[in-house]
Amino acid sequence: MYRRWRHRPEISASSSEAALAQAAPDRWPPLLEPSERPVTSIDGFGLGLRTEHYSDFRSGQPAADWLEIISENYMVPGGRPLQHLDAIRAHYPMVMHGVSLSIGSTDPLNMQYLADLKALIARVQPGWVSDHICWTGVDHANLHDLLPMPCTEAALKHMVERVQRVQDFLGQRIALENASTYVAFAGDDMNEWEFVRELAERADCWLLLDVNNVYVSARNHGFDGRRYIDALPSQRIRQIHLAGHEDLGDTLIDTHDHPICPGVFDLYAYTLDRHGWVPTMIERDDHIPPLSELLAELDQVRAIAAAAQTPHCGQDACREAA
Amino acid sequence: MNSTTASTLTAQLHAFARAITADTAPPDTDELFRPTPQGGPPRIEIYRHAYRARLTDALRENYPVLHRVQGDEAFDELAEKFIAASPSQTPSIRWFGSALPAWLAANSAQLSHPALADLARMEWALCTAFDAADDSPLTVNDLLAHAPEAWPELRFTGHPSLRLIALDWAVEPLWHALSDNPEAETAAPEAQPHHLLVSRQNDQTQWRSVEAFEADLLQAALAGESFAELCERAAATQGEQAAAAVAGHLRVWVEAGLLTA
Repeated sequence: MYRRWRHRPEISASSSEAALAQAAPDRWPPLLEPSERPVTSIDGFGLGLRTEHYSDFRSGQPAADWLEIISENYMVPGGRPLQHLDAIRAHYPMVMHGVSLSIGSTDPLNMQYLADLKALIARVQPGWVSDHICWTGVDHANLHDLLPMPCTEAALKHMVERVQRVQDFLGQRIALENASTYVAFAGDDMNEWEFVRELAERADCWLLLDVNNVYVSARNHGFDGRRYIDALPSQRIRQIHLAGHEDLGDTLIDTHDHPICPGVFDLYAYTLDRHGWVPTMIERDDHIPPLSELLAELDQVRAIAAAAQTPHCGQDACREAA
Repeated sequence: MNSTTASTLTAQLHAFARAITADTAPPDTDELFRPTPQGGPPRIEIYRHAYRARLTDALRENYPVLHRVQGDEAFDELAEKFIAASPSQTPSIRWFGSALPAWLAANSAQLSHPALADLARMEWALCTAFDAADDSPLTVNDLLAHAPEAWPELRFTGHPSLRLIALDWAVEPLWHALSDNPEAETAAPEAQPHHLLVSRQNDQTQWRSVEAFEADLLQAALAGESFAELCERAAATQGEQAAAAVAGHLRVWVEAGLLTA
């Protein structure tokens, strides 16, 4: 079970301000350099669990070291989705990845969503929980998209406060992922990578670095993706996503329906050289191929990581640790 | 955050949201966003398209037979109007479309036949029974374990997946035909007020049409009437056979996993 970091009533949107003002800055365990991190249940190379592959994962032991679930897919009252989840979780370590936290929105945090998320955490016992640096709607209308934040000091302060409230409620650090973006606000007063770095440091959260998203946004906005990677604090990067996208020339669309392209693999190798080993997975959300194809693509990722000489724990040891 | 910067952030997000959801030509976003590196206008159309496509796909998944009846073009047109009229308000997109049956009933001009609002009600019932909460079903042995003198006061609870809905049209043949074969030729549903029973047993979602007597009895049972009260209710039409009729239906419900222990 998760330890309760602090015992206090559930935070309501109207009463949280004072409580946060009193929060000590060092509420979480100290950060460790990547090489100092203990072996955890999540290491090696993972895949996003998709319904198309339920039978593969239930009937055998496909060679993924861990799986990532979309939290919302299992935030349902009961039935088969949760049965599949429990059966597969018995054999694989998991992390939870959400799309509905809307951490950047100016609407109040949805405490019912957070309570449901916390209940799923108790069920899954994930290595960690993640969502996106984005907002998904305002005025209680959910647009169901990962919409970019203005990269401003005001937005940063707003998000830091909300991340801290979420972490307090869940009793653990969360990991936040950089989203792919197609527009940039005229009022920005810092680069996205500065925004992401400051958010992670000030909110004391993890980063889920989506290398494909860096690549997509770099092409869409005309910056060098390596500058983005360079700016991130190594000890905050908990997980890496790799994925494919649609290349329309002037614009890349983050469709997650293609194999990983060579440019993203190059940026991934650069990331490992720069930051050291980080557990890595392939995220495919559409045109889901047979599992064997994704496992073959995962072998490509393994080869690139091996070439980057990044130490990581043996797969068997990881599975036993789970 | 001081109020000025907070209101700036709020204004930025609201302007972005309006540009995405605006029905026709989006508001000018040239002041809100930077031009592209190529000097082009902001790529707001990517977000506008994704918003509608994602929600339309969610409706197609939750209403697969309605989609088949309407066809791609008419369904998408209907979806666009529904999305504009009834934006999603739930964190998970899985629940988008809960308001569609009521919206269709109030906007039947959008449909090729008014019965399709009932088809949508049937599909939403099936879709929510699928992942309704789990609970232990009541068994025949559970019932038989009660002493005869305890029976008059027995009361019953429906399984969380149980849905009993009143329909004006016989849409079940249409659902059946198009679920089996997306290209099936189907006749227009006939007007026939009745009840549809949807539930989940052994992880399988199931449905059947229900006659008026059974529907009335089941509704009363779910509302908390005791076995004795159900028998009194049944006596109006079944006379001396009331207790046997209630017991008979009870057995059918239990065997179908409709009640919980």
